[in-house]
Formats: sequence, C-alpha cells, structure tokens
Amino acid sequence: MRVAIAEDSVLLREGLARLLGDAGLEVVASCGRAEELVRTVQSTPPDVAIVDIRLPPTHRDEGLRAALEIRAHHPAVGVLVLSQYVELGLAMKLLADSAEGVGYLLKDRIGDVQEFLTAVQRVARGGSAIDPMIVSTLLSRRRSDDLLAGLTPREAEVLELMAAGLSNQGIADKLTITVRAVEKYVSTIFDKLGLPSARSESRRVRAVLLFLRS
Amino acid sequence: MAGAALARGVSAHRVPKPLVLYAVAFLGCAAAAVSLGLALANDQLSQPALRAFFLDWVTLPYIAGGLVAWRCRPDTGFGPLLVAAGFVNFLGTFEWVTSDPWFTIGVVFDLLPPVVFLHVFLAFPGGRPERRFAGVVVAAAYVTAIGLQLARMMLGGAGHNLLELTTQPAAAQALLMIQLVGTSAVCLAGIGVLAARRRRAGRPLRRTRALLVDSFALGLVMIAVLLLAEAFGAPGVEPIRWAAFAVIGIAPVAFLVALLQARLARSAVGDLFIELRADPGPAELRNCLARALGDPSLELAYWLPQCGSWADLEGRPAELPAAGGRRTATLIEQDGAPMAALVHDRSLAQEPGLLDAVTAAARMALDNGRLHAELRARLEELAGSRARILKAAQQERQRLERDLHDGAQQRLIALSLELGRLAERLGGDPGARARLDQARGEIGRSLQELREVAHGIHPAVVSNHGLAVALESLAARAAVPVRLTVGFEGRLPEQLEVAAYYVIAESLANIGKHARATSATVDVWRANGDLVAEIADDGAGGADTERGTGLRGLADRVEALGGRLRVWSPAGQGTRVRAEIPCG
Repeated sequence: MRVAIAEDSVLLREGLARLLGDAGLEVVASCGRAEELVRTVQSTPPDVAIVDIRLPPTHRDEGLRAALEIRAHHPAVGVLVLSQYVELGLAMKLLADSAEGVGYLLKDRIGDVQEFLTAVQRVARGGSAIDPMIVSTLLSRRRSDDLLAGLTPREAEVLELMAAGLSNQGIADKLTITVRAVEKYVSTIFDKLGLPSARSESRRVRAVLLFLRS
Repeated sequence: MAGAALARGVSAHRVPKPLVLYAVAFLGCAAAAVSLGLALANDQLSQPALRAFFLDWVTLPYIAGGLVAWRCRPDTGFGPLLVAAGFVNFLGTFEWVTSDPWFTIGVVFDLLPPVVFLHVFLAFPGGRPERRFAGVVVAAAYVTAIGLQLARMMLGGAGHNLLELTTQPAAAQALLMIQLVGTSAVCLAGIGVLAARRRRAGRPLRRTRALLVDSFALGLVMIAVLLLAEAFGAPGVEPIRWAAFAVIGIAPVAFLVALLQARLARSAVGDLFIELRADPGPAELRNCLARALGDPSLELAYWLPQCGSWADLEGRPAELPAAGGRRTATLIEQDGAPMAALVHDRSLAQEPGLLDAVTAAARMALDNGRLHAELRARLEELAGSRARILKAAQQERQRLERDLHDGAQQRLIALSLELGRLAERLGGDPGARARLDQARGEIGRSLQELREVAHGIHPAVVSNHGLAVALESLAARAAVPVRLTVGFEGRLPEQLEVAAYYVIAESLANIGKHARATSATVDVWRANGDLVAEIADDGAGGADTERGTGLRGLADRVEALGGRLRVWSPAGQGTRVRAEIPCG
C-alpha cells in the first residue's frame, strides 16, 4: 500500500513515516508543503494521502484545499485529513459529494497505532474514517424530534461506529458480536430513523451523518 | 454685542451731518439751474438747451450718487470724490459766459471733467486708486488737463482769456493736440487698469458690480474716442460728445444699484440673525452663512488648539487654501488666537464690510461649531485607538494560538506517537503496555485541555476557514436545538468574522445558561454593506442587558469595528440579539 504524507512539523512527519513503515506501508512521498503533495499525487498517485489541515505558507487552509483538490481530480486516491481541531463544518466540506475514500481525524489519534493504521487502510480502500468526536458532537446535538431516543443502547453504539466509517466486520470485531448481528442492527437502525437502506458502507456513513446534522 | 459690531461695520466712521448733505444737494440743484440759465442766455451757442441738458445729465447723478455714497460709506473718500466730480463738470459751464473772468475759469476747467471721471473710476470703491500704477495714471491725467491747459491759455490758444500773455497759435495748437491725445492715452491706460482688476477678481463678480466696472470702462472708452475725434477733427464730433455724456452720466446710476445690492446683502445678515437664534446644527450653520454671504461654495474650518490643526465640520483634518488661489480664507479670531475660518471665493474679499458683519453675527454659533468639531475629532481619535487596541489584542491572541499549535501541541502529539510505536514493539508485556496506554491517555487529556485553551485564546477555525464553517460546531454543541442559516458566501475581513463569532458563541452560551428556551435560531447575512448576525430564542426573555452576561464586552468589540449591538428581551417573549458590523 502506497502512502504520501504532507505535514510541516518535521518531528511528526518523520514519526508518521516510521510508524507507517513499521506497519509495512510504503511511504512514497513525505512533503512539508501542500503544493508538493498535489504534484506528487499528480505524477505518481498513491493509494492514500495523509494531509495536515494547516500547512505553510499561511497555515490557514492550504491542507484542506489540497485535500479537496485531490478528491476532485483523483477520486481513486484516498485522502485522510489530520487536524488539531475537529470541526463539523470542515467534515461537511470534505463529505460534500461523497464519503468514499475520505477520512478526517484528530491528530491525537496517531498515538492509538492500531486504530490509526486501520483507518488509513480503510480510506486507502475507498472507505471512510470520521473522528469519533465529530460523531459524538452530532449524537449529543439537541434535536427537536426524538428519533434517536427510540434506539436501544446497543443500536446507538452500532450507529456511532457506523457513522465513524467502520465496516460491519470492524463493528463486529469492536463489539465482539457476529457480522450477522451487526447487519441486523444496521437495518433496524435505518428503519427506526426512517432512512432508505444504503448499499455501500461509505454511502451509509454520509447518509447517517447528514441525518444526524439535519 | 453682535449687533453693535454689525453697526460698527456699517458706520463706525464719521457720518456727515445731514445739514452738510442738504447744503451740497441744494448747491448741486442750483448749479444745474445756473448751467441751464447760462446756456440759454448765451445767444452764440448752438443748441443751448441740449448742451445744458447733457451737462446736467452728468452733473446731477454724480452729485446725487456722491451724497448717497458719502452717507452710506463714510469710511471711504469715494462719496466726496463723486460730488467733486459733479461740481467740476459744472465748472465747464462758465465757458458759456461772455465775461472774461468767468470765461477764464470755464476754460481752465475745460479738460478737467474727463480726468476727474477717470479718477473716480480708478478710485472705486476705496476712494483712492488701488495700485501705484493707477495713481500714476491719475496724476499724469491731472498734469495734462490743468498744467498743459494753463500753458496753452498763456499762449493764447484758448480764446480770449485773462491768462493770455502772447499769441502763438501754432504752438498752442500743437499743445492742444498733445493734451487731447495724451488725455485719451491716459484714459486707455485707465481701461487697462479696470480690465486687470476684473481679471483679478476671480469668480465672476456680482452682476451689478461687474456692470459698474463695465460702465466705468465704457465711459473711459467714450472719453478717449471723443478726445481723439476732437484732436483729429473727425466728422460727427457732436453725436460722439452726446453719446459720451450719456454713458458717463450712467456710471453713478450703476454705482447706486451696486450700493443697493450691498444693502440687500446686509439684510441677508439680518436674516442670518434670525436663523442663528434657532441654534442651527453645524451643517445648517454653514448653509446659513453661505446664504448670507451669497457664496454657495462657502466652507467652514475650525481651529483645534489641542491638535494644532484645522478641521472640517466633522472634525476631520482640513487645510486652508494657499494665498493667491481662487479661494481665500477669512480668519475669525478669539482672544488673539484663530478660532474659525470662512473659506470662500476670493471675490468675496472685496466686500470686507459684509464679511465683518456676518462673522460678527455668527461668532457665538461658530464657537459652538468649533466645540462640535473638536468633540467629533476626539471621538474619531478614540474610535480609531479602540479599533487599534482591539486589532493589536487579536493579533497577539492569534500569535499565542499559533505558538501553542506549532509548539506544545505538536510535541505532545509526536510524543504520543512515539509511545504508541513503543507499545507496538513491547509486544507481550501486558503491565508495561497498560502503563504506556495510561501515559498516552494522559497526553490525550492534556491535548484536549490545550485545544480548549487555544480555542479560548483565538478561534483559529474562524480565521482559517471562515465564519460559516466555524458556526456548524457551535450550533451543534448548543444547549438547545439551533436552526442555523448563513446567507452569504465567501470570506469577510477576519476581524469582522471573529467579532460575529464571539457574539454568536456568547449569545448561545447565554441561552443555555439563562433563557429556559426550547429552541433558537442563528441567522447571518449581509445587508447594505453590513454583516448582520441575529440570535433569537423562544425563552423567558427579560434578560438584563446592562449587567453581566458578557454583552457589554461584545458591544465594545462590535462598536470598535464601527458596528452596533442591540438586544431585545421583553419578558415572556424570548431574547433577540442583533449585531450589525460594517464590512468596509
């Protein structure tokens, strides 16, 4: 699996490269600036690009713009955006068209090596990885309807993991239940929320997030 | 006080006694009657009545105009000069007398009238020729008219008179030519002086005043033509003579009209008094003064001693026009220091009486206007320094947030990453793994706290991604369901977005704490160049807008950007907070 990194802090960039290398991923480019990453992706598209949201020269939204550009022109390349703050508005910008091959995680998550690597691989394969903080913000949101109140605690757990982008297998592993059971929960949840059942896992991520945000 | 000053501007100089004026008027009438009588009594004179009529046509207006000028403008010698011109003109009458002494007097003064008219025209309005050149012209004219006339009379070239010493007709004739051509040359020089004066006057003079100068010039032209016609014996001298007399007689009439208009201007000063009593505002004061002075382009400037500079009505720095330009400033002083200045067209400078009267009348109002301008200047300065302080504080907070982000936060994340890798390598030692996980958990909590601190110092998401993006999380984390509507695209100046963000964040926090609301709306849109943010809830209302709740700080922030914050909170009807901040 080929990975490109754009991160301006040398300490983090090298740490990330070592971490990914340890796990047997091939780091094909390790850049300090956004335009460098975009060029690399154009010449030799990796499976996934990991981008810091704040990059030089202004440290405002260069990373985000690079991520959106890669998503627009290279849909086959997964984009995982890392940030020191997670913002619902930014998640919605990234997911504006689809949740396929897109991830948005708090930088802190790097330390949880296994989970982080799973997320990188998921995004590289066209899945999604949405930070749990985004999901919990959406779930904690006060709503005028009480559709969420109709879910059982187990269903709520499944909803949360589903929204974060986990596959049925991932949810099953996490909750130590069978994939069959997860599928059943998922269909019950869609019924209760009045959502049409989504075919792919990444489509359901977007459907659930949009529902929670509405 | 102002009234006294006004009166002083009009008649502080010696006003002639009425008796003197009546006596002069009587003498004038008598002179007119005498010239008529003398003309009719002379049986050698052709068309005696016509001659007498034209002579009096000039004599009477000059004496009458002179008397009016004497009474109304005693501060100048112009009135007496006009009167004198009238009587000098009358003296020519004695040429019609057959007795030698009277005839001699008449001949001596034969050429004087054109010169006196020249003197009058060039001495307007001050009673003396304004420039040295004009003075020289007048003096030269007197020498030609009197000196050469006496010489010619001695040479016997002016008919039989008492001064005749010898009879040298050729020399006398040559002298006469010199006199006539010289005097007409002097008249032409006078026309040049008048033309130069008109050009100097800048903006077209008041119409009557222009008419007056034109009538003077025309009079001089006619005199010059008449003298040249006489010198070269041109045919049709008589009609030219009558035309010249007719024109010269009109000049005092034009003068009287101009005087009347000046009187009307004074009555505008009277109107000004009445308008000032209504205590006009700074802009209206300017309009009143512009009306009174008849100069719509009038501007006011006030001297601000603290700033050591001139300012306009709104306290903005202003400059007085440089000397010699089309515009002139009339300074108004108070206690020896400048207080205000009227910046007007330079043609107004020729009416110092009117300027004095208007400034005297408006002195107190101008003083008030100056205080207003001073206040505005200070407010402007205050608003500017408030905005600067806010901007500096925001930049400092932004820098702090950046330092945290680039420093402590990055290092902690790198540390957490290294611990994670270490844990992966440890493999089978559950005790060590658990302790590493615990350490990572601590780092995670520190990062969370740091994140909150950094956001409290400066909401980087607003600066980096804009208000619309930042409001999503704010609305999602609010204590009540929030319907968020952002009605504009793109970015606005950062300070504005940050201020609006704070207003919305604080208002939503207040709703959670105080409002007992079940829902809220946040609307942000642009209207008339303003960014408008409105936060409304359906809670209890009755919010105390003066104390606490952080509203004062928000209002400061909004006002420093030239905007305003308003709060409606009637009991039982929810609370609505609205910030309007100008975008430009």
